[in-house]
Amino acid sequence: MTKSELPYLSAKNIVKDFGENRVLDDVSIDIHSGDVISVIGPSGAGKSTFLRCINLLETPTTGVLSIGDFQISIGEGHKKAGKKELSTLRRNAGMVFQSFNLFPHLTVLENIALAQRRVLGRDKEEARTRSMELLDRVGLKDKADQYPGRCSGGQQQRVAIARSLALDPKVMLFDEPTSALDPEVGAEILAVMRELADDGMTMMVVTHEMSFAKEVGDRVYVMVDGRIVESGPPAQVMSEPEHPRTKQFLSAVLGR
Amino acid sequence: MIGYILQGMIWTVFITLSSFAIGAVIGVAVAAARTAPLIIVRGIGRAWVEIIRSVPPLVWLFVVFFGLAEVGLMLTPLQAAIFTFGIIASVYLGEIYRGGLATLDRGQIEASRALGLGSFDLLTKIIAPQIFRTVSPSMVTYGMGLMKDSALASTIGVVEMTFRANQQAQSTGQGLAAFAIVGAAYLLLSIPLGALARRADTKSRLKYVVN
Amino acid sequence: MDIQTWFGYVFELLPGLVTAMQLTGMSLALGFPLALAFALLIDIAPRPLNWVVIAVVEVGRGVPLLVLLYIFYQGLPQIDIVPSAMVAAVAAFTWSTASYATETIRSSIQSVPRGQLEAASAAGLSGIDSFRFVIMPQAARIAIPPLMGLAIIMFQLSSLAYVITISEVMQSAYFLGTKTFNYLPVFLAAAAVYASITIPASALVTSIERRLARHV
Repeated sequence: MTKSELPYLSAKNIVKDFGENRVLDDVSIDIHSGDVISVIGPSGAGKSTFLRCINLLETPTTGVLSIGDFQISIGEGHKKAGKKELSTLRRNAGMVFQSFNLFPHLTVLENIALAQRRVLGRDKEEARTRSMELLDRVGLKDKADQYPGRCSGGQQQRVAIARSLALDPKVMLFDEPTSALDPEVGAEILAVMRELADDGMTMMVVTHEMSFAKEVGDRVYVMVDGRIVESGPPAQVMSEPEHPRTKQFLSAVLGR
Repeated sequence: MIGYILQGMIWTVFITLSSFAIGAVIGVAVAAARTAPLIIVRGIGRAWVEIIRSVPPLVWLFVVFFGLAEVGLMLTPLQAAIFTFGIIASVYLGEIYRGGLATLDRGQIEASRALGLGSFDLLTKIIAPQIFRTVSPSMVTYGMGLMKDSALASTIGVVEMTFRANQQAQSTGQGLAAFAIVGAAYLLLSIPLGALARRADTKSRLKYVVN
Repeated sequence: MDIQTWFGYVFELLPGLVTAMQLTGMSLALGFPLALAFALLIDIAPRPLNWVVIAVVEVGRGVPLLVLLYIFYQGLPQIDIVPSAMVAAVAAFTWSTASYATETIRSSIQSVPRGQLEAASAAGLSGIDSFRFVIMPQAARIAIPPLMGLAIIMFQLSSLAYVITISEVMQSAYFLGTKTFNYLPVFLAAAAVYASITIPASALVTSIERRLARHV
C-alpha cells in the first residue's frame, strides 16, 4: 500500500490545561492515510483527552491541528473554529465512544441515517440504503428496526461503528471502544475494527487491549502524564521498550 | 400604604409558621399510617392523602370556615386558616417524610427494637435525625409554597398582607402600586427561605462518615 | 341532606367546571410554549435579555397566584388598562404556568446524558439539529410527567379565579351556598367535583410515567 508523503492528520504541540492542571503537555502526532495508530498508557495519562482534541470535542489550550485540507491554530490571538469548519472536521473524523452513546429514542436504522440526512444532505432513500449496507457489514441487518435498548452492548457498539462509518469519514477515532464490554464481546468489536483496518481505514485507537495494539496497529504511542514518552512499531515498543515509564506500564499489564 | 400593607407580614408569617408546625407534627402520623403493617391502616392513610391532595386548598378553606359553622363549629378566620393549612401541610409533609423513610435502612429499626428502645425514642433519636438531612430541602421548599398559599386566607377575611393590599387597592384606586408592594414583599420573604433551602440541600449531599 | 339534593348541587356546579377547564386549557396552551421559549432564552440569550427572562420567571414563581390575579384585574386599571375578568385570569394563570414549567423544562434538558450531545456533535450535526433531533425528544420524555402534574395543579388553582368574578366552580358554589344556606354540603359537592377530575388524572399521569420509563 502506498502512503502519501504528507500526513493526512497532524496535531502539533497540543497543550491542554484544566485550570491549574496541565493534562496534555506538548503532544504531537502525524498520521498518514491508511495508518492504524494505537495509543496506550496508564489511566489519567490524557489519552482520551488527546483523542477528543482531534475532533475538537475538547478544545486544546494551544496547538495546531490539520486534517486533510482543514487547518486550525488554537490559542491566544487566534479565531475560534466556526460552525461550518467544525462540521467539516467532524464529518471527516468519525468517533466511537466507550459508552456507545446511541440515540435511545431512534431505531438502529434511524441512528445511522440521521447524520447522513442532516449533515451530508442525502435523501431518505439513499440514507436508508447506505445504512442497511453498513448494518450488513457489521452483521446486524436484522436489527434495523429495533431500538438500542433492545440490543446487547456488543450490538450497540457495532451500531455505533456503523453510525460513524455512514458519513464516509477519512479517519476513525476510537475512544476505548471495548472498555465497557465483556472480554468475549470486546473481541467481536476488535474483529470488526481489524477488518476496517485491513480495508485501509485510517484509525486512531485509544485502548487497553494490548493484543490489538500489538497485532493490528502500524504504530504504537505510549502516553504517560500528558506526554508521549515512546512511539514506534508495535514489535519494538511492546517487546523491547526503551523508556522507563513504558517498561513500568507494560510490566503491569503483562499477559493481556 | 406601604406601612399598612407590610404590617400584614406578621400575620402572613404567623399563619405560615403555625400551619407548618402543625403539619410537621401531624405529618408524622400520616407517614406512620402510610407505612403501617396493617393493610387497612395503610388504605385509610392512602385515601386520606389522596382526597386532601385532590381538592384545591381554597375549597377546604371554605368547607372549614363556612361549612363547619353550620354544624356548630364557629371558627374565626384566623383559626380556620391555620387549621386548614395545618391539615393540608400534614399531608404533604407526611409524604415527604415517607420519601425520606424509604432511604432509611430497615435494619436500624430492628436493631433498636432488639435493644428494647420504645417507639418515641426510636422516632426521635434514631429515625428523625437520620432522615432529617434528606428531607429538609423538600421541607423548606414546601414551606415556601405554604407561604404563598397563606395569601388564600385573605379570601375568608384574615387581615394579612394580601387582604390589606386588596383593601388599599379598593379604597385608594392605586391597585398596581398596592399589589406591586405586596408582590415584592412575598419575593423578599422568599429570599432567606431560598438561601435556607440551598444550604439544606448542600448539607443533605454530605455523606455520613461510617467507620 | 338527602343524596338526591346533594347530587342536585353537584349538577349545578358543572357549568362552572366547564369554565374552569376552559381557563386551565387556555393557560396551559399559552403557558407551555412560553415556558419552552423562556427555558431556551435563559440558556441562549445574551446578558441583559436573559436577566429579564429570569426576572419574569422568578416573579411568576415567587408571587402568590392570587396576587398575580389581583395585579391584572385590580392593578392595571390604575394605569388605565382595564382587562376583562377572563383576560386577566388567563394572563395571570399563563404567567404562573410558564414560570413553573420553565424550571421543569430546563432541568429535563439538563437530564439528558452528556454523551448524547457529544455523539451528535461528533457526527457533525449542527447545534440546532443536535437539539432538535437528539436532545429535545429525550428531554420531552423526561418532562412530560411533571408537566402533566403541573397541569393538574393549575386546574385546582383555577378555583382562585372566583375572586375576580369568573364563574367557575367556587363562584357557583358560593352563590349556591348563600341561596340554600347549606354551606357544608355545597362546598363538599365542590370538593367532589374537583376530585372527580383530579384523581383519575393523577392516575393517568402515573401510568404514563411508568410507560415512559420503560422505553429509555
